[in-house]
Amino acid sequence: MKIESSTVEQLFIAGMIGMGNILKEGFCDKDNPIDCKSKIEIQAMDQTCLLIDFLSEILSLSYAEKSIYCKVEFSLFTSNRIKADIFGSHISKLDEEIKAVTYHEAQVRKNRNQQWETLVVFDI
Amino acid sequence: MKINKTDIHRINDYLWEIPKSFNQKMRVPARVLASEPLLDAIMEDRSLVQLVNVASLPGIQGASLVMPDVHEGYGFPIGGVAATLYPDGAISPGGIGYDINCGVRLLTSHQNIGDIKDKLEILSKEMYAQIPSGMGKGGQINLSSEEMEEVLLKGAEWAVNHGYGEKDDLAFIESNGRLESADASMVSEMAKKRGTDQLGTIGSGNHFVEVDYVEEIYNDEIAKAFGLYKGQVVVLIHTGSRGLGHQVATDYIRLIMNVMPNYGIEVPDRELACVPFNSKEGQNYFKAMCAAANYAWCNREIISWEARTAWKNIFGKEVEPLNLMYDVAHNIAKIETHFVDGEELNLIVHRKGATRAFGPGFEELPINYMAMGQPVIIPGSMGTCSYVLAGTAKSEELTFGSCCHGAGRRMSRTAAKKQVNAPVLKKQLREKGIYVEAGSFKGIAEEAPIAYKDVNMVVDTISASEIAKKVVKLRPVAVIKG
Repeated sequence: MKIESSTVEQLFIAGMIGMGNILKEGFCDKDNPIDCKSKIEIQAMDQTCLLIDFLSEILSLSYAEKSIYCKVEFSLFTSNRIKADIFGSHISKLDEEIKAVTYHEAQVRKNRNQQWETLVVFDI
Repeated sequence: MKINKTDIHRINDYLWEIPKSFNQKMRVPARVLASEPLLDAIMEDRSLVQLVNVASLPGIQGASLVMPDVHEGYGFPIGGVAATLYPDGAISPGGIGYDINCGVRLLTSHQNIGDIKDKLEILSKEMYAQIPSGMGKGGQINLSSEEMEEVLLKGAEWAVNHGYGEKDDLAFIESNGRLESADASMVSEMAKKRGTDQLGTIGSGNHFVEVDYVEEIYNDEIAKAFGLYKGQVVVLIHTGSRGLGHQVATDYIRLIMNVMPNYGIEVPDRELACVPFNSKEGQNYFKAMCAAANYAWCNREIISWEARTAWKNIFGKEVEPLNLMYDVAHNIAKIETHFVDGEELNLIVHRKGATRAFGPGFEELPINYMAMGQPVIIPGSMGTCSYVLAGTAKSEELTFGSCCHGAGRRMSRTAAKKQVNAPVLKKQLREKGIYVEAGSFKGIAEEAPIAYKDVNMVVDTISASEIAKKVVKLRPVAVIKG
């Protein structure tokens, strides 16, 4: 999955929405009733790891809570630390089973168009 | 890093080497077990760059190795073997993979394909009904926290003790279906939660249950010892540790990446993150990995029980039940003893997409198999064929007692989905006499035969290199997929 956004925060949101849409096609593009909320707190060695760990945490919660998360509110967002509430909707069936979000080829960086971007490789 | 054919030295027709001098970070040479046409195919992706990176792992011994079914993975190539020195060489969760103890087992029947042809369609539907498959689907068993601890410690034995398996099966499972080093307290609560309702489920991706028959026998003596005969119907099961194992890998790759600098270790790819085996983090991961491996063996035992139930429902109670021929892991790390440059060493052998293939005389083998070598089960792609091989002493010389694990992907899932018309493929397979029961057409397209290498070429390379002997070829007649 290739994601791109004008800010790092938006890049993280794009990653979460993109992953949700893989788990169930187009799910996060719809207006779903929110019936699930979780708190997450992540510390990582750099921004790229922070993104991958953020997505991994959401993926784990998706399976544990049988929900897809499409909305996030950050209460802390630094280059290596996040505190956030994530909001999701229960689902009965997934379209795709993602085994893991990998660090392989991920690199959060600014491109020529001054947009933040990275590739995220899933183990499916 | 770019690897050209001129960088690769031919040792013999089936063994190639990238010397240590190729890259200053390499601690050992990198070796490829492949025929020349397969080597050319392997060079089309970045498997060999990954193989060279693996050769830089702290404590690696002999050579980093890939099998002929290798393809590009995440950090480690899939189809790779890396042995590091026990006890202070590296252990790397990426060298085992996210699906810990993904593996395959073969059940044998007492029925001939000619006698059950008219029941294949209802058999495949009954198998699909009995064995939960597909994306995130839960099973019939919901484990309490106490039961989860027992599963993680006892593996396949838990299933047997609770009426979901056969006691006689245990002798026919690698490591008897239980790794003693497992410690459930090293598995996170999140991993346990994900595993609560997934025992007895195959999941999605390349996992499957397949009904096959023995089409060809290559070695009568070994086939007889393994209980295989021409025309015999068999059941092949391919799955692993499900969400529990995926979570264990995710948890420890993250942890190990963070502590790796404390040990002065740098790796060329984050997914190669590793620590010394005898470090606190290395030990914790190994104990958690063993627990996840036990979960996987329990899972395959319960799936066998579901397959046996389906068998009984279709053929009646009077028909002899399915017997376990063997169960092998292909994503695992084991402490084993091997010779390196004439010296006997204890090693941490990482197999990622590679099967243990020990030769005759290995004490763990059931008595009937002892003189034959360990059974090695090589599933091909849906609609082609699969093989049963027997490990040899040569594998212990060349590959730390390892062999390939399948045909090996040659096309990504995305590319396969673009190229394959799944309803048409399902119809074509039906015309070839193969019933497919799948949760989605997407799953069929992703696993189309075109997405895989030719399993015959892969197995012929293995056979020619003498690391395993061909025993029988299996032909599929029904495929159950997620």
